[in-house]
Amino acid sequence: MTPTHFSVSSAFILGLMGLAFHRTHLLSALLCLEGMMLSLFIALSLWSLQLDAAGYSSSPMLMLAFSACEASAGLALLVATARTHGTDRLQSLNLLQC
Amino acid sequence: MHPTMITTSTCLLVVLVLLLFPILTTFSPKPSPHHWASSHVKTAVKTAFFVSLAPLFLFLNEGTETIITNWSWMNINTFDINMSFKFDHYSIIFIPIALYVTWAILEFATWYMHTDPQMNRFFKYLLIFLVAMIILVSANNMFQLFIGWEGVGIMSFLLIGWWYGRADANTAALQAVLYNRIGDIGLILSMAWLAKTLNSWEIQQMIFLSKDLDMTVPLLGLILAATGKSAQFGLHPWLPSAMEGPTPVSALLHSSTMVVAGIFLLIRLSPLMENNQTALSVCLCLGALTTLFTATCALTQNDIKKIVAFSTSSQLGLMMVTIGLNQPQLAFLHICTHAFFKAMLFLCSGSIIHALNDEQDIRKMGGMQNLAPLTSTCLTIGSLALTGTPFLAGFFSKDAIIEAMNTSHINAWALILTLLATSFTAIYSLRVVYFVSMGHPRFITLPPINENNPSVINPLKRLALGSIIAGFLITLNYLPLKTPILTMPPSLKLAALAVTIMGLLMAFELAQMTSAQFKPLPKLTPHNFSNMLGFFPILIHRLLPKISLTLGQAVATQTVDQTWLEKTGPKSMTSAQVPMISLTTNIQQGLIKTYLTLFFLTFSLAMMISLS
Repeated sequence: MTPTHFSVSSAFILGLMGLAFHRTHLLSALLCLEGMMLSLFIALSLWSLQLDAAGYSSSPMLMLAFSACEASAGLALLVATARTHGTDRLQSLNLLQC
Repeated sequence: MHPTMITTSTCLLVVLVLLLFPILTTFSPKPSPHHWASSHVKTAVKTAFFVSLAPLFLFLNEGTETIITNWSWMNINTFDINMSFKFDHYSIIFIPIALYVTWAILEFATWYMHTDPQMNRFFKYLLIFLVAMIILVSANNMFQLFIGWEGVGIMSFLLIGWWYGRADANTAALQAVLYNRIGDIGLILSMAWLAKTLNSWEIQQMIFLSKDLDMTVPLLGLILAATGKSAQFGLHPWLPSAMEGPTPVSALLHSSTMVVAGIFLLIRLSPLMENNQTALSVCLCLGALTTLFTATCALTQNDIKKIVAFSTSSQLGLMMVTIGLNQPQLAFLHICTHAFFKAMLFLCSGSIIHALNDEQDIRKMGGMQNLAPLTSTCLTIGSLALTGTPFLAGFFSKDAIIEAMNTSHINAWALILTLLATSFTAIYSLRVVYFVSMGHPRFITLPPINENNPSVINPLKRLALGSIIAGFLITLNYLPLKTPILTMPPSLKLAALAVTIMGLLMAFELAQMTSAQFKPLPKLTPHNFSNMLGFFPILIHRLLPKISLTLGQAVATQTVDQTWLEKTGPKSMTSAQVPMISLTTNIQQGLIKTYLTLFFLTFSLAMMISLS
């Protein structure tokens, strides 16, 4: 595996692990999601440059646009949670769980 | 018929009639007067004693032994059972001794049981016991011996439980019966084997027909019978418990007469045992173990009667050792001399107990030498005779036994145990004498000490006379059937004496230490072992039944219910399903953790696959 490939993959996996295992704050999950998006952006950009495929040059921009939508949806959820539960801690979402 | 024969037969049958007569008169509806016990029963026994002296003197003069077959009782095809009395050297010597000792005990009992409202019944029981004992001793066939055997067992039960209002007495009587019963199994086994194989229960025929047979099975049965009746190790706890009965009962039954019945059986049938090395070794080892174990237990007892009871058990072990050495005559000699001094020790104990207002603990006696001089003197004479002081009664039998043991081919373990038990005898005898007669009184100042009653003094004097000269008289007149070994190194010859003196000196040393406290918290393990009788009664009477009963309870209530309802029935269904169910619902709680973890796992799996 080339170093580029390795670094991009490991960044993505680290972000994924952070998403799965940081269960204290909702904000940390969203941040990890952003990290994953960033590594995907870099991967897409490098991909089209490495393979000299000009047709895929615009895919990073597309990706960025969609990730912005997703991030804003996530932030809206965060704000809604903070408004209803008073905090973004994930425990408060599980309070009625026995 | 020859006049000697007529005299001997008549006198011996008259003895039986004299003893049975008072018992038969109690069947009449007229109530007997209060002094019936002393006037009728004691006189009957006294007369019977004097009558039985005639055959004894004829035997000593001419060697007359008789077998009287009276009545053909029953027959089963070729198997005859008759009423047959064998008056050989064993019975002819034992019966006068038993009657002499019983006479002394009955006279003592008129004083001891004076305030008892049922005194006449007590004497009747003692008399029935005596008749059963004489039947046992003079039996010429196993059936008659068994009648006497069972008779003495039953009378022992009735007499031990004399004060039946006391729970301990009932327990002790029950113990006696149960342990004797276990021995009876052995006796019945032997009787059955002998009836089947030899087709006879007559002693003559059995001895003649068994010359070439392998007699191990019936001999082991007889040894079991002796173990039960004579309190050898394994079936011994009933003897110290039997001290719950009145002191005359202890003196008569459990020292002189009943407990020697087992040994007497082995002596009677010793010709069957001569060639069987297995049986002889069993007797030897069992006797050695018994004598040492019970002597150890006697060292730390505090009840004066229990010490004497354990002393009896130890001497019975010694008799068993003698039988194991193939010397039945020496065992018989020891039975005869032992009867005198042991009965006297019991009568002295009874006198002291009554004098101190029913106090039996030796730690609360003391100084009796000045307060009851005759009794404590007789106690000392009895103890000296017991330890085998040279030329008193016990010496002739005990020293002969230990000499025979030292000069025969036996295992050294039995020898060492017996010598050790001999030294222990000296130790506990000194302990009794020290605590009872020496030192200062340890009781309150007003006990009714009065030994001036002739009913107390005369029996003690008679038995003291017997304890001193009986051994001498018997050995003068009684020819040994086996040649004793007469030459041995001086160390072996003096072994018994040396061991006894060592024990005595050690006991003196220990007695000096009783007034000084050695350590504040001494380690008491050997003392506790000895005082609790080797933990044998606790284990066998309490622990084993408890284990059996709790096992029964556990099986009946818990195990059956648990098996049918919980392990194989309705509850087994739930207990098999529920663990699986709870495992499965673990994931299904709706936690975010679960979802995120699954997401991560799936993703990493996909990455692996795509990258490889």
